[in-house]
Amino acid sequence: MSYIIRTNLFRKTACIFALVTSVVVTAGCAMEAGASFPGVAVESYPPDGYVATTEPVYYEGRATYWYGGNWYYRDGNRWSHYDREPPALQQRRVQAAPVRRSYGPAATRRPMANAAGRPQERARRER
Amino acid sequence: MASIGRRTGIIVTVLIGTWGTVGCSGSSANTPPPATAAKVAEDDDVAAGLLEHHRFHHHGGVTLLIAMSLDTLGISPEHKAAVEKIRTDLHARMEPARSAEQKLVNTLSEGLAAGNIDAAGVDAAVAEVTAAATAVHDASAEAVNELHALLTPPERAALVDKVEAHWAVWQKANSLKADPEHGHLATLAKELGLTQDQVDKVRASLDERLKAVPQLDSQEIAAHLRAFGDAFRSEKFDSKVLTTANGANSHLAGWGAARLAHFVQALSPVLTPDQRTKFAQRLREHAAYNPNDRGES
Repeated sequence: MSYIIRTNLFRKTACIFALVTSVVVTAGCAMEAGASFPGVAVESYPPDGYVATTEPVYYEGRATYWYGGNWYYRDGNRWSHYDREPPALQQRRVQAAPVRRSYGPAATRRPMANAAGRPQERARRER
Repeated sequence: MASIGRRTGIIVTVLIGTWGTVGCSGSSANTPPPATAAKVAEDDDVAAGLLEHHRFHHHGGVTLLIAMSLDTLGISPEHKAAVEKIRTDLHARMEPARSAEQKLVNTLSEGLAAGNIDAAGVDAAVAEVTAAATAVHDASAEAVNELHALLTPPERAALVDKVEAHWAVWQKANSLKADPEHGHLATLAKELGLTQDQVDKVRASLDERLKAVPQLDSQEIAAHLRAFGDAFRSEKFDSKVLTTANGANSHLAGWGAARLAHFVQALSPVLTPDQRTKFAQRLREHAAYNPNDRGES
């Protein structure tokens, strides 16, 4: 195969690759930016102590908890989170930090940061 | 010329691809910020406070877990007053059991401070807590039915999740396994400055004492929680038909009270006068527990 033919073949392949990449990425982007903001099943989720002491925000018919940089919700027997933050929940988060309840004896209660912590990495649990 | 045209074509194509990719990243502007290193819940004060609460308060059994779950249900403003009324009502229905628990904790506190715990008085107080807890479900069934009627399906599901979360925390708080970080003895060792020798003596005494206490049947309580959860999530609910409730309530409250009593009795002879005074004060604070004192942050 001559040098010219090889070069032309390479250019055509590069062109097709760039076009296909562009189409796939753009299409994927359009799907992701849809209204549904799909959730993903996760291996990490808010600990029991957090769920028991924190007010959820109700969104799309379920209780969601802002924790460790994600909004988590129960999906049947497991936890899921929105892989992209829905605007309504983002607005809620910006407006106010999650309300938490402290149960220690009054004398031992200290002012609490409302910032939510990191999710714990744990095996997915079935209930 | 043909070569220039091809090169232009490639550049344009690559630019379009790059634009598509960059444009897509831009649409992710509302992607949540990365997790901050704020706090792992088990280390935060709220979670630690809840663990402590579940070590000292068992009086209503599962009904107490339901009432506590209402504290953070996050219900709609129009239902808030009605749910608050039911919450207050539930605590009122549990009052005989809370009063019995208060008597137990005061007995332990006074005995600890004096260096002489009245074992017979403690046993009688534990029995009172158990008996009072047995009556809680029947007394509160109507209030729980009203609650179900008032809540929306998502709120009902959230309540069940919270009750289960409280149960998980309760089990951890009252675990008999030695937990060098979050266990009751480990936490107290830090607070009171117990030596390793003191910790070892308490652990040995507690293990011996608990041999005489029937084991906690967590399966019985878990089965009741499943029955409650399935029923409460559904459209039709009647708390009165939950036949597993009385057993679960008395078991949870009775076992929790007995564990606390043995824990304090195992500690008492090992503590220094200063440590005894400090722990007795903590017990008095728990005895004065008021469920209507809302510690919101």
